[in-house]
Amino acid sequence: MLAVRDLTKTFPARHDNGAVRALRGVSFDIADGDFFALLGPSGCGKTTMLQSIAGLETPDSGEIAMGDTVVYASAGGINIPANRRQLGMVFQSYAIWPHMTVFDNVAFPLAHGERKTGKAEIAERVKRALDLVKLGAFADRLAPHLSGGQQQRVALARALVHEPRLLLLDEPLSNLDAKLRDTMRIELRQLVKSLGITTLFVTHDQVEAMGMSDKLALMRDGVIVQQGTPQDIYLRPESAFAADFMGRSNLVAGRVNGNGAMVDVETPIGTIRCPAAATDLNDGIVVIRPQAVRLHGPGIGGQNCYAGTVEQVSFLGDVVEGEVRVGAGLLKIVVDPYRQVAPGQTVTVELPPERCVLVPPDSGSLP
Amino acid sequence: MAATDRRPRRWRVDQQKITGIVLLAIVGVLVLGPLAVLLRASVAPPNTMPLETWAVTFSNFKAIFEHPATPTIIGNTLLYAAGSVGIGVAIATFIAWLTERTDMPGQALIRVMMFAWMAVPPLVIGFGWILLINPGNGALNVLARNLFGVQGALFTIYSFWSLILITALSVVPTAYVMIAGLLRNMDPQMESAARVLGGGRFAVARRITLPLLTPGLFSIGIYMVMAVVQAFDLPLIIGLTAKIPVMSTRVFLLSVPDNGIPNYSLSSAFGVVLLAIAVVLMWLYFRAIRTGEKFRTVTGRGFRPKPAVLGALRWPAFTAAMLYFAIMALPVLMLAWTSLFPFYRLPSLEALPLASLANFHRVLDSALVQRALVNTVLLVVLSASVVMLLSALVAWFSVRGGGLLGRVLDVMSFAPTAVPPVVMVMAILILYIKTPLYGTVWVLIIGHLTIYIAFGTRTMTSALIQIHKELGDAAMISGASWATSLRKVILPLVWPQVANGWLWVAAHSARDLTIPLVLMTTNNVVIASVVYTMWDFPDVPGAAAVSFLLVAALLVVVVPVQLLASRASTRG
Repeated sequence: MLAVRDLTKTFPARHDNGAVRALRGVSFDIADGDFFALLGPSGCGKTTMLQSIAGLETPDSGEIAMGDTVVYASAGGINIPANRRQLGMVFQSYAIWPHMTVFDNVAFPLAHGERKTGKAEIAERVKRALDLVKLGAFADRLAPHLSGGQQQRVALARALVHEPRLLLLDEPLSNLDAKLRDTMRIELRQLVKSLGITTLFVTHDQVEAMGMSDKLALMRDGVIVQQGTPQDIYLRPESAFAADFMGRSNLVAGRVNGNGAMVDVETPIGTIRCPAAATDLNDGIVVIRPQAVRLHGPGIGGQNCYAGTVEQVSFLGDVVEGEVRVGAGLLKIVVDPYRQVAPGQTVTVELPPERCVLVPPDSGSLP
Repeated sequence: MAATDRRPRRWRVDQQKITGIVLLAIVGVLVLGPLAVLLRASVAPPNTMPLETWAVTFSNFKAIFEHPATPTIIGNTLLYAAGSVGIGVAIATFIAWLTERTDMPGQALIRVMMFAWMAVPPLVIGFGWILLINPGNGALNVLARNLFGVQGALFTIYSFWSLILITALSVVPTAYVMIAGLLRNMDPQMESAARVLGGGRFAVARRITLPLLTPGLFSIGIYMVMAVVQAFDLPLIIGLTAKIPVMSTRVFLLSVPDNGIPNYSLSSAFGVVLLAIAVVLMWLYFRAIRTGEKFRTVTGRGFRPKPAVLGALRWPAFTAAMLYFAIMALPVLMLAWTSLFPFYRLPSLEALPLASLANFHRVLDSALVQRALVNTVLLVVLSASVVMLLSALVAWFSVRGGGLLGRVLDVMSFAPTAVPPVVMVMAILILYIKTPLYGTVWVLIIGHLTIYIAFGTRTMTSALIQIHKELGDAAMISGASWATSLRKVILPLVWPQVANGWLWVAAHSARDLTIPLVLMTTNNVVIASVVYTMWDFPDVPGAAAVSFLLVAALLVVVVPVQLLASRASTRG
């Protein structure tokens, strides 16, 4: 549905800081009906990407196509303006027009958009859109008299009412309080999936990205570092950055010995046996999720088993987080709250090889 | 699909681009045209039409700097500006402190009256004072003679001190509005902290409040000096008789002499010198603002400082504030009195039965006044509307459009701030005198567009900055064209600021004398120039009647809006 090819954008230097290369040749595809997340820390270029797709920002080069229509191509000099791209968008601020009622807000794309629609049809379709987001009773309310969650629903109804070919969501949950965010996350995904609308979702929150998307692309410094399903990226990160950004993880640096499907990595913890990386490496980082660590009683031997001492424990309720000193290193672990773990306890730590991921040493700085 | 898209797309992209280019052309002609002509004329040989020769000479500047009167004129100008601003800002600070930081009664009343006084033309105030304290039969002088047996004249209007004092009184409202804003935005926690840490009230005022206010007061002072250096009305009607030439009147007399032919090249050179002084002041002003920003104290939103308790001094303080308004009202009352008699009479009870509205009938029947009325309405309505339209578009391009076009438009529309109106209008005169526009009301409208577009753009820029960018983006994404998004989303959101700006421009356009006087012909008279010509004629009762009508009309429009605005601000 959406195809982005080699998109670049550089913001010229301003008085106080140098030029920013927001996009350095980004390519990705979104399949029809997919819920796709663009994830990354602030300044990674994801917002510029979204704005370029929306037509609110003009890239320097590359191509963007929606279905059969090329909406932007530097080669052909094509740049269809935002109002003719047939998009729906929920903004971070919701951008609900405060001088209009809920009805007028939602009716706007039909009344003033590309294809003019008759009065009766507008009324009918606005009602349907408002019912969809459960705001049917609020049609005559002035927009400022709505709560944050309601404003978000109005924004969603407005973005969907004209049946756009692509829905863009710009951090739509970041302005909601934590509880509402959890419910809206599920509701939003269900609603969009039930309508079958292709959706591009931009966020800096990896929990939102994983919880909502079918596929996601992780961005950093203007490039996509990895894309795939949430499980792919969480369980099989291709870089220390991807591992670290997607959740808590142990990043253990070491020297790689041997070649073949399995390699040995000499680390401060000890020698860790794990599957080889895609490329041959001399030095590497072993990524071990805290959840991957198995904890046993003292004195148990076996592959990738190490003796350790529990250094500290925080009881958080739904999980218990701890740190175990193994050799010259420190490992983060997560155990279930019913298990008794106390500082000073000696334990055996097992790192199952299939749960260890070897990635190249990181070139840039970690966020 | 791509093929069918191409044709309409081109037009739609251009909707914004074409508007930008047209806007650039209009603002360019309005602003750069006169400035270029001014510079050209200043190096043209004397006694030529500057646009009809290619010769370049610096003899005009030489003449200015060698002329023995020049140092006096520049000295007069600076003394005049410094003196009137010093006194005006002192009075304004005192009243602003009373209304913003004390428990004095009647604060809302004083605020509204201040705003209302900004609508009264300096021209009218000047005429009123001439009637009150001219040395021959000024009402106050006669009163002093009769009551206290004072010999000769107690006061005289035709002195440097009178000019400074009257100007000082007339700058008070503007200074008050700016200083009150400064006081209101000051974070009271700074003072509270000093009090908590053991500072006495006097120590806090001296060591905390005043130093914090100094950068703000300084920049306001420079702004006011800039305004007074550019001022023209009062120096014209008081200063000329008193033989106190300042730069603005000098420029005027050279281009519109009472007798002899205008010397455009010399007056342009004078204009360039005045412009240079204005630019220096402007630069100082921006420096002062930037210094002020460094310790700006605008943080405590919604905090109302605890008012200083005046106690027994509450009513005396109120009386002192009202005294200012009484003094301000005197000239207007004097004009009202004068307008009721067929010839000038001193105010007295005996004269009262003779009062009649005959003058009003007479002036309203006069063809000249009728023409002036029509012209004034045209001038005011069109100037204000076109200024706000251009300003809103310029502001959109500079805030949202981004890029070079936006920046160029922004700078160009701000440039007239540095150009004294009397200089600008002279340049406009030279530029348009050979075109059919000269002598019509249209050339006056062009003048007012040029002078007020800077204010309009400032107003609209700050209004648009408040509007979240995504509100406009959302309209575009919804499929609305650029024009529709402006009309349906942006404009309704900034409507109050547009209306306010319109009113400001309309009021200033109605009271301005500079533009209509320099460009005056028998056809394009407006109320302000009619008042001036009737006074000069002399038809003092007629001038008084027209002045009174002008003031009344301005107050009728301005006061209700101010009342609404003040009620809205206390509610919100």
